[in-house]
Amino acid sequence: MNQVRALLGQARMRLVRDRAVVWATNGGAAAAVLLLGVEVAYRRWPLDPAWPLLLAAVVAGLVMAAAGWILAWPSWQEVAQTVDLRLGGRERLTTALEFATEGGGLYVRQRDDAAAFAGAADLARLGPPQVPVKTLAAAGAAGAAALALALLPNPALQDLRQHRADAAAQAAAANQIEAIARQVAGPGKPGEDPAKRQKLAQELQQAAAAARRAPDPQTAVANLSQAQQSLGQLKDPNLGAKQDAATAAGKQLAQNPDAAKAGSALASQNLSGAASELNKLAQNVPNLTQQQQQQLAKSLSQAANAASGDQKLQSSLRQAAEALQRGDTSAAQQALQSAAQEVEAVNGEDQFQGDVNQAINGLQQAKQPLENQALSGQGQQGASSQGQGQRTQSPGQGQAQGQGQAQGQGQGRGQGQAQGRGQGQPGQSSGGNGGGGATGKPANGTEPVYVPSQAQDTGNGQNQGSQPGVQNDLVPYEQVLAQYQSSALSQVDRADIPEQQRQLVQRYFSDLSR
Amino acid sequence: MRAAEIQPAMEPERFQELALAIEAELAKLIVGQQELMRSVLIALIAGGHVLLEGQPGLGKTVLVRSLGRALDLGFARVQFTPDLMPADVTGTNIVNEDDSGRRRFEFQPGPLFTNLLLADEINRATPKTQSSLLEAMQERQVTVGERTRPLPSPFFVLATQNPIELEGTYPLPEAQLDRFFFKLLVPFPNATDLAEIARRTTGVTEAELQPVASGEDLAAMSVLAREVPVAEPVMERAVNILLATHPDRPEAPEEVRRYVRWGASPRGLQTLVLGGRIRALLEGRYNLALEDVETVAAPALRHRIFLNFEADAAGVDTERVVAAVLGSRSAQRR
Repeated sequence: MNQVRALLGQARMRLVRDRAVVWATNGGAAAAVLLLGVEVAYRRWPLDPAWPLLLAAVVAGLVMAAAGWILAWPSWQEVAQTVDLRLGGRERLTTALEFATEGGGLYVRQRDDAAAFAGAADLARLGPPQVPVKTLAAAGAAGAAALALALLPNPALQDLRQHRADAAAQAAAANQIEAIARQVAGPGKPGEDPAKRQKLAQELQQAAAAARRAPDPQTAVANLSQAQQSLGQLKDPNLGAKQDAATAAGKQLAQNPDAAKAGSALASQNLSGAASELNKLAQNVPNLTQQQQQQLAKSLSQAANAASGDQKLQSSLRQAAEALQRGDTSAAQQALQSAAQEVEAVNGEDQFQGDVNQAINGLQQAKQPLENQALSGQGQQGASSQGQGQRTQSPGQGQAQGQGQAQGQGQGRGQGQAQGRGQGQPGQSSGGNGGGGATGKPANGTEPVYVPSQAQDTGNGQNQGSQPGVQNDLVPYEQVLAQYQSSALSQVDRADIPEQQRQLVQRYFSDLSR
Repeated sequence: MRAAEIQPAMEPERFQELALAIEAELAKLIVGQQELMRSVLIALIAGGHVLLEGQPGLGKTVLVRSLGRALDLGFARVQFTPDLMPADVTGTNIVNEDDSGRRRFEFQPGPLFTNLLLADEINRATPKTQSSLLEAMQERQVTVGERTRPLPSPFFVLATQNPIELEGTYPLPEAQLDRFFFKLLVPFPNATDLAEIARRTTGVTEAELQPVASGEDLAAMSVLAREVPVAEPVMERAVNILLATHPDRPEAPEEVRRYVRWGASPRGLQTLVLGGRIRALLEGRYNLALEDVETVAAPALRHRIFLNFEADAAGVDTERVVAAVLGSRSAQRR
């Protein structure tokens, strides 16, 4: 039996090596097929990063190869059968191994016969390791296909990355807006309406939530634009007129020595100081002489006439003037105090409107990355902006300090709501910036405004004029503002245009360039 | 008990010596047909009966008669005909008168009471007569009247049947077919053998056969053959071969599922293993090999597989079915 066992031992190692080759091939094929499956599935259900899954596929192939090789470890019986089969042993080795300990009968002779066979056997006749060619070919094909898929662009993966970037941009915008909301939610300023400030904070919170919830950056931008409009509605549309009324009244009062301080403060839009001076003036009224009171009544009457933009102020000033004319100093004091309150209220509204403008600007700043993200998403999807016309965006800078709100034609490039600084009547003042571009997209006045680039001669005779629908033909408004300003000012520098309107245009461009 | 103390019933060398001697004696009269003679010898050593099928004149009767001479065994020949009665085969009680004038029944043994019975053209006898052989073949005894009489030992039936003259024949019932150890097809001799047959049978002298083995030798050879070890995979292969002949088994190949009505009985497996063991010894080996099982599969199974009408219509015979069984992957599974 020693010869039999020696032969089987050698044959077993040979079989183990052969099966290592087979299972390495099987494992490689399994890994290749899994990789191919991952690559195929990856195109429908993208995963980023994908390398853990790909690594898992390779590991699975290795595990399968190792497990299969171990599980296929040949038993002695199997080795004996294999050698019998391949070397023509006619089950001599198998039988001898099975009855190795049996005694008597033909068993001894059988073992001797098997030993003789083993002694003469040549393991070289087992042949070379049998490589599973079909499996190897399948592994190669699957691997090549997986590699090809890996090298080809994956639209689903690009979509996933775009989606993640979109979500990150939206979250960042939402966080930014929430920070503004927290800042705005602080204690209000004197004279302002607390309900309006609460409403402002609430609108900002809703805007942040809308930006976070939006399915894509475009929608988020639209939501924020809508929020900007909502915020704009919190502002008093008559504030500019009231401020102008205060200025005009101040100029009249400044001519009276007793009311000069209050008048100067009003004329210089130092409304807080003006309110204080008016209160002081009210306290000082009983100390004035009769003549001084009459002069003051006259000044107040003139100021009331000039403050037609603020009916409360006008009414208070007029009541004060009339009271002084009657010699009723007490009533005059009350009327002046009422005027001071109105001025204080206008001042509070002005402060609140500044916060609103800051909030709108904050929204605008939050929108900017979202807009960039939306544009990059459109570029990745191959849907470029061709054919969409010129995009109109409003920067918001410059309008934050606007003291008036006007609705009207925006430079003849579409209609939209714009914020500007105007001195005209509400709804009539010109200078509203923004407005829809060629796309007709409504634009808030605080959005960056892009204008069509001007035809430029490059010097080589070729006209690099603008081409509608090409994004590169849009330039930021800052680059053309000076040109527009010069043109506009030269146009309004005429005798038939009132000074007030000319100042309005000047102030508009001044605010824009700020 | 130590191995050295256990001696085989017969030395394997003696086994092979006797087998070769018997085959050599038969070869004096039988030209060619080595495979047939080897198969007949295997069946005799196994103690089984043989059904020989072949055209007339191929030496079936000569083979059986020669066996009787070479083995020094009693030989009887019965020509089966439609009018042959069971008593003509088994024997019967007859009235005999002794010297004193007293009459009594005495059993007159039929031709069954021999060692080697040639049942020539067995399919020509009626089923009743054919069935009279059943008890004798299986139980090796004959019951006539109320007495059961044992047959001489050894007792072999070598039946022949002609496959081309089916008119007026009675096909053997399945139960009786199953009792035959082997069904052997006697092939037509090739040209060389035919010439040799002509030379031997038309000359002046005829070969004289000498007994080279006895019934006891056959019995001892049978015992030795049953000691041949069988490895588990080989036994499993034999079992799978048998199971694959059954159309309702998962191991069955397509040919079996389509053409077979009934598969082989467990006697088929016994035949595969015992016949294979004897063949192994005759080949000089001391273990049963797959090759042995596969070699004896056709003679062991061809008469134990019953085909359906579709097989008849398609011209499929059991040879093709057995070949399919041996070639099927399930039957090869080890």
